[in-house]
This record gives sequence, C-alpha cells and structure tokens, in this order.
Amino acid sequence: MSLRSNDRQWGSVAKFFHWVIALGILGNGLFGLLMDLAHSPMQKINWLALHKSIGLTVLALALLRIAWRWADRRPPDEPMPRWQRLVAQATHGVLYVLIVLLPLSGWWFNSVTGKPLQWFKQFNLPALVAKNDALRDLAHGVHEYLFWFLLLVLVAHVGGALKHHVFDNDNVLRRMLPFGRLHQRNPSEGDQP
Amino acid sequence: MKRLAILLALALPGAAAAADYTVQPAASTLGFSNTFQGESFGGQFSQWTAAIRYDPGNLAASKFDVEVTLASVKTGDNDRDTALPGADFFDVAKFPKAHFVTTGFRQSGGKVIADGTLTLRGVTKPVSLEVTFKPQAGGATLDVAGTVKRLDFGVGTGDYADTSVIGGDVKVTAHLQLAPK
Repeated sequence: MSLRSNDRQWGSVAKFFHWVIALGILGNGLFGLLMDLAHSPMQKINWLALHKSIGLTVLALALLRIAWRWADRRPPDEPMPRWQRLVAQATHGVLYVLIVLLPLSGWWFNSVTGKPLQWFKQFNLPALVAKNDALRDLAHGVHEYLFWFLLLVLVAHVGGALKHHVFDNDNVLRRMLPFGRLHQRNPSEGDQP
Repeated sequence: MKRLAILLALALPGAAAAADYTVQPAASTLGFSNTFQGESFGGQFSQWTAAIRYDPGNLAASKFDVEVTLASVKTGDNDRDTALPGADFFDVAKFPKAHFVTTGFRQSGGKVIADGTLTLRGVTKPVSLEVTFKPQAGGATLDVAGTVKRLDFGVGTGDYADTSVIGGDVKVTAHLQLAPK
C-alpha cells in the first residue's frame, strides 16, 4: 500500500488521517460529554486539559489532512447514481467543516471563559477572543451542539458506506479500510494492496 | 529594663532613629503571582495591614509586621476566587489571616534582604523578602519581593499538590506607599 492514493484506493496517509481523526473526534466528543462525572474539581481540571489537548491535536491533524487531500490524487468515485454521489460529496464537505469547527469552537469557548490552553503540558496557545462571561453559555452550547450535529451527519456517512459495502458490494468502504482488500473487478488490473 | 533601653539607645545612636511609617492603602498593593496550566496569573489582597519601621542606615532597628486577611483575595477568575478561600487552599474558616514578621535584615550583594517568618494556614516557616526602599518627598516607597513555596504551608493539598498544574513557587510582591508617622 503506497502513501499516496491511487486510482483504486486511498493511500496510507489518507487512511491514517481518516481513522485517527475519526477515533479522536468521537472519543474526545464522548469524553467531553462525560466531564461532569469527574469526582473532584482537580480531576475535572485534568480531564478538561486532556480533552483540550486531544481537540487541538484533532484540529492540527484536520488541517494537515485537508492540505494532504488537496495535494494528493484521489480515487474516482465508485459507480453510483448521481444523487448518491451528490449526497456523499455534501456529507464529506460538511464533515470536513465540522472536524475543523468542533475544535475551533472549543478553543473559542475556552477563550471566552478565560482559561489557559495548554497542549499536553508542553506549550500554551493564545486565546482567540477576550474573556467574556456573557458568552460562556452560548459558546458551551455551540461547542456541544456541533458535536451532536456531527453525529447526525456521521449517521449518513457511515450509513452510506455500509450500504455500499453490504448491499452494493463495491469498494467504497474497502478502499478506506486500514487493511482492506479490494474486490478485484478485473484481476488483470492487479492492484497491489 | 527601662534603664537598659536607655543605655542601648545611647550606645546605638541609630537604634531609636528608625522611622515608623504608616501605609497609604490607596496607593499600596500586596499580591502574588503563580502559574496555572502553564499560564501565569496574579492575585491581590485588598485587606491587609502593615506596621513598617525602617531605616536603611539602621537595619538592626527596622521591622516589618504584616497581617493579611486571606478571604480578600481576588485573581480575576471566579472559579479560582471561589476555590482559594476554601479548605483545600487558604482554609479561611480555620485560618483567616496570614502573618509575616521580620526576624532580621541583612545586606546581600548590594541588596537588603528581610528575613522573617510567615504564618499561613497554621504553619510557621522562614521566608525572605528582597527590600527596595526609596525615600521621596513626604515619605518613601517600599517594594518587597520573595518566593513562598505553597506546599510548605499546605496551600493546595491532595489533588491540588500537583505542581505541574498549579505552580509550587508563588512569587509574593508588595508595593507600599509610606508616609511618616
């Protein structure tokens, strides 16, 4: 499997970005929703610090991913009806926007509360805006509801991928799976996984 | 006793000359700075009193005696300002005041150091402050700066003892505008 994508499947860099960001954003989203389970204020401080660090990592990876996707070639769409292609593209577009907006909204929320922003205790990042207690609840709401919206869009994304995998039996999911073997529609093409 | 004091006063001509000052609260500040998650923050106490007797030429007769009402702390963050007076930090319900009193002054590398004891949260330990005294028309300014190791005094115990989150060395500073008594 090459680093770059080819005509049949996504390259290992694209796959790495896809799955690491998927895991990071889902895990960190659930983690964020569970913050109130912390049994002491200091534990909550530490959990929040971890949540912010993971979120910043996701943001950095998302920006790198967009740059890579722009530079990388990509496999052409599998044969499918035009409406499915449009829905898939729209879903992908919204997901790209959300994986950038979700951490950014967290950064904004953090800035509004006036708290420090530190990446795994290594270095600090500046606030995006000045502290503003009046915006605190709004910023919290925006940050949280963006995650719920992301989950909603994810249902379409995962649903579509599974539909192609199970019912259409094509390579839409296989070509993004970390160790996926493609269906060889034409064995002479000899794609090397 | 009285005779001894008079003899001492005669033997050490400067001893009785160290001036007593009153602090002008409106122009004076007492506070600290520390780090939280890699970011520094400052705090100020709005209620404190200081008895200052000081003469740069007669350090032996000089004395600082400072009392701070810990509940008057403000750091610009609601969560912090709620937590600091609590049992995990200053515990103002049990220990409402901190007390610093000098035990002696010394010269060190061109600077004046005030050695003293700080009583905070029921613990008394030595603390030294660097002193900058500037006489001026109608009084003087006095700046002091030093470091207090918060864990020596049990400020921020248990989970809060983690100095990678809340710095261990708290820088204490005060700026006093003094008028002669």
